[in-house]
Amino acid sequence: MIEFKGVNKWFGKLHVLAEINLFIPKGEVLVICGPSGSGKSTLIRCINKLEPIQEGEIIVNEMSVHKPSTNLTKLRGEVGFVFQQFHLYPNMTVLQNIMLAPIHVKKIAKADAEKIAREKLERVGLSEKAAAYPIQLSGGQQQRVAIARNLAMSPEIMLFDEPTSALDPEMIGEVLDVMVGLASEGITMCVVTHEMGFAKKVAHRVLFMDEGKIIETGKPGAFFDNPKTDRAADFISKILTH
Amino acid sequence: MLTDFNFRVILEYMPLFLEGLKHTVFIAIIALVLALITGIIACACRISRFKILRYPVITYIEIIRSTPLLVQIYFFYFGLPTLGVSVPEIQTGIIALMLNSGAYIAEIIRAGIKSVDQGQIEAGLSSGLNYVQRMRFIILPQAFGVTIPPLLGQAIVLVKDTALLSLISVAELTRSGQTLTSERFMPTEAFLTVAFFYMCIYFGLKTLADWSQKKLIFREAY
Repeated sequence: MIEFKGVNKWFGKLHVLAEINLFIPKGEVLVICGPSGSGKSTLIRCINKLEPIQEGEIIVNEMSVHKPSTNLTKLRGEVGFVFQQFHLYPNMTVLQNIMLAPIHVKKIAKADAEKIAREKLERVGLSEKAAAYPIQLSGGQQQRVAIARNLAMSPEIMLFDEPTSALDPEMIGEVLDVMVGLASEGITMCVVTHEMGFAKKVAHRVLFMDEGKIIETGKPGAFFDNPKTDRAADFISKILTH
Repeated sequence: MLTDFNFRVILEYMPLFLEGLKHTVFIAIIALVLALITGIIACACRISRFKILRYPVITYIEIIRSTPLLVQIYFFYFGLPTLGVSVPEIQTGIIALMLNSGAYIAEIIRAGIKSVDQGQIEAGLSSGLNYVQRMRFIILPQAFGVTIPPLLGQAIVLVKDTALLSLISVAELTRSGQTLTSERFMPTEAFLTVAFFYMCIYFGLKTLADWSQKKLIFREAY
């Protein structure tokens, strides 16, 4: 489904991804955590080529992501991406936000796209906000719309880059609830997050990164209660005792 | 001093002022429309990936920004005939104003495009929209909102810059004042009237700017 083969990436002199080898099978919910600057966001941004890589290969659904001949439109249609800062289009209503890519990328007829959009909005519990502009919504609502916008493309893979980090505490739950629902449906998910409750509840595997390297992977229960490495143990103790 | 103010001569010369006003408005509108087209094309080249488009336009913009408008007007007024191109003064003036404002408008539009958050581009990218679609649906509509106020500012500058065309004997508003001054020697009356008309144009444009601001309020607010 997603495979990293010897991936290396530098930002200038900073070795941000160091020799990454990783296989994510179809339907897996993978939680990626690690200290700030450890390369976890960069890792998932490479999967849909928001970032170039300098060495190695990433394969998504049998497409080699960084090969110039790869059909990026097709690839990105199959991979959803949810940003920390939502990035809804402020010049469009909620409904238009969701319909844009289905109409112009998937070439779905407008009426059908609207039907899909309303369906996905209902799914995230925001049917009544279809005609609102993003600025009229709370952060949690904006993030749920962003998720609906991705779902309208029926992606096989969803990438989440700290989806709840920009939210007020009381709004984190509503976004996580939507994500828990997705996880139970068999969409492949890579989630960069520090929400340990979410990881324990739905993750199949937790991946711990530091300084651009994968330090440790494991089942969430084993990882949190009994980390194998000192660095992971140190990190877990910090996020649990803040 | 104001007791000497001669209103009668203003009324007497009113047809000349109105004729000048008409020319000023006409020149400004034509030059503005052409400058907008020039600016949009120049901006498209300026942000292009291709050096062959980008570098000539950077040169053009830098030349315009580094030289006074009056020098540019003289360059076309005296320069074009020596190249064998004979153009009436009014057209010469419009060409100079178009190229001058066009360079500034290109930079205004570029600033508007650059002001759109990088995350908006990434959102478009990650949903599979191509360059033209991202520009058309996401970036340009948002850039438009922030571009309107400085564009209207540039329009106001352009209107006032038409006054320089009096120096190449275009019969616009300032020229009317000069004519009255040379015939009757009443510069106070002449240029107060001229200033009044410029202010009328200015407040007209300003009202338009304020109105458009209100219309675009949601784009400002995010």
